[in-house]
Amino acid sequence: MKKKTLTRRDFLKVAAVTPVMGAVAGSLKIPAAEKPLQKSKVVLIRDENALLSFKKPDAEIVQRMLDEAVTTLVGEKDVTKAWKTLISPNDIVGIKTNIMRYLPTTFEVENAIKKRILDAGVAENNIGIDDRGVRKNPIFKKATALINARPARTHHWSGMGSCIKNYIMFVPKAFEYHGDSCADLATIWKDLNLKDKTKLNILVMLNPQFHTVGPHSYADKYIWEYKGLIVSKDPVAADSTGLRIIEAKRKEYFGEDVPMKTPAKHIRLAETRHGLGVADPAKIELIKLGWEDGILI
Amino acid sequence: MKTKIWGVIFLLIAGGMAQMCKNRKAGDIDLGTLMPHEVNEWKSQGADKIYTEETIFDYINGAGEIYRAYNYKKLQARNFTREGYPQIIADLFDMGEAKNAFGIFTHNLEGEKVGIGQGSLYSGGLLQIWKGRYFVSLFAEEETNESKAAVLAMGKKVASSINEDGQLPSIIELLPEENLKKNSIRYFYNHLILNYHFFLADDNILNLAENTDAVLGTYQTENGKHWLLLVNYPNKENAVKAYNNFLNVYMPEALEEGILQTENAKWTAVKIKQILLTIVFDAPSKGAAKKMLFAVHK
Repeated sequence: MKKKTLTRRDFLKVAAVTPVMGAVAGSLKIPAAEKPLQKSKVVLIRDENALLSFKKPDAEIVQRMLDEAVTTLVGEKDVTKAWKTLISPNDIVGIKTNIMRYLPTTFEVENAIKKRILDAGVAENNIGIDDRGVRKNPIFKKATALINARPARTHHWSGMGSCIKNYIMFVPKAFEYHGDSCADLATIWKDLNLKDKTKLNILVMLNPQFHTVGPHSYADKYIWEYKGLIVSKDPVAADSTGLRIIEAKRKEYFGEDVPMKTPAKHIRLAETRHGLGVADPAKIELIKLGWEDGILI
Repeated sequence: MKTKIWGVIFLLIAGGMAQMCKNRKAGDIDLGTLMPHEVNEWKSQGADKIYTEETIFDYINGAGEIYRAYNYKKLQARNFTREGYPQIIADLFDMGEAKNAFGIFTHNLEGEKVGIGQGSLYSGGLLQIWKGRYFVSLFAEEETNESKAAVLAMGKKVASSINEDGQLPSIIELLPEENLKKNSIRYFYNHLILNYHFFLADDNILNLAENTDAVLGTYQTENGKHWLLLVNYPNKENAVKAYNNFLNVYMPEALEEGILQTENAKWTAVKIKQILLTIVFDAPSKGAAKKMLFAVHK
């Protein structure tokens, strides 16, 4: 059956029946969303010493932060046991990273994840780390589990480079998802059956980027040392939490609410339209650990 | 004999000129020769890097899609450093044709005009210029008085070394000037770019393609904001096809052909004349929508 073309009028229709919400595109509610999910747990962990120097994480501290976040998230004190609730020794695990040249996931974060997957009993040759090559990578092709890790940053097409957005490399024509501020990125997760396969989402907040400028969509000036990680099984909840922090930073920096050039509405629509997870803070159980100064949330 | 010699000389000259023309085709220019190596004590650092259509994502990530939507050919990047001052990144894009350079320039219209090249805007350390088939981005990683002066001086040098001017796409001239917002004209021929500036539909319902020309203008009146989209098609058949598709997908229930009050109580109207399709979005009244169409098709 041919799919229905979604036009601007479909959004206007929704706005017309929910006038209070109509001004906020991200709050659009389209029928056929799945039933609301239960409260999602998100762990935000920060450490004042997480960076050795500009954009250079301290590997040991990052490992400690990840361990504490994961044990808290799954409610298991032993790190290996905690990871074993996510990954089994027979799994083939793809770590979906992000190699954006100015702001990558970082080797330190990738390595901290890989170490714990090894500890969980997965053979090294069954673990892959990749970004742009995931569609051809044999590990990712046969992966039974995925760990999704990327830095948080503002983004030209989607408003925010989010955990949801990080899976765009699984589709052959990424640009097909760029329309309407990447509103329907969550469909990738559902269509490619990535939702259940993804065991953990890690939004790297060591140096989040809060503003986009120029062809590179990047300037050192617009990142700050937040020194945090956001960890959750729910990508939407992780992204929603990260977005709140970025928005708060923008307000602090600009002295007023300066909307992002591209609204990050794909995060809220991932809940309201696609039922991928929860974006509404009221539905998120946020656990804050570690350094509190400038937490912004 | 003399005739033969002159004939050979003529062939050699003609051949040489043909070769020169060939060498100057898009993508073949040494872009490095158009950029300086030193400005206001900032000096080029390391070797230039060149990125093609295939490799642009390695350099500018997902935003590379914007340049591809304008049929980008090649980018040469040069970094400039000065002890104790912010780095300046110079990116020179060969966009193949002037219309593409102009189009990519209209993608981001933030900033103040600074009178360089055929169009230039400066904001917060970023200077963007278009001239001929080239788009130039000069970005100081931090804005200081010195870095701003250097970026502007660099822009002037690059612009003066580009020995060509480009023609503005003629469709621009069809936009009525009354109430047209300054710095609101976007030129493109790709529906992803249209959707970035004004979301119309997830599918390419207007059949925008490289052989079309489209311009979007924003109009501001006391009754609010509305938009005018013009699309030129290569022939009447294509224009009619797009017109009918728009009617069927966007306003199938319109009682009067080509005009409809949408759910936000504003008016959308469409008209076709020869190869030109004109659409008004969010006009405050039916009369205002018709007036806009008339202003284009008078």
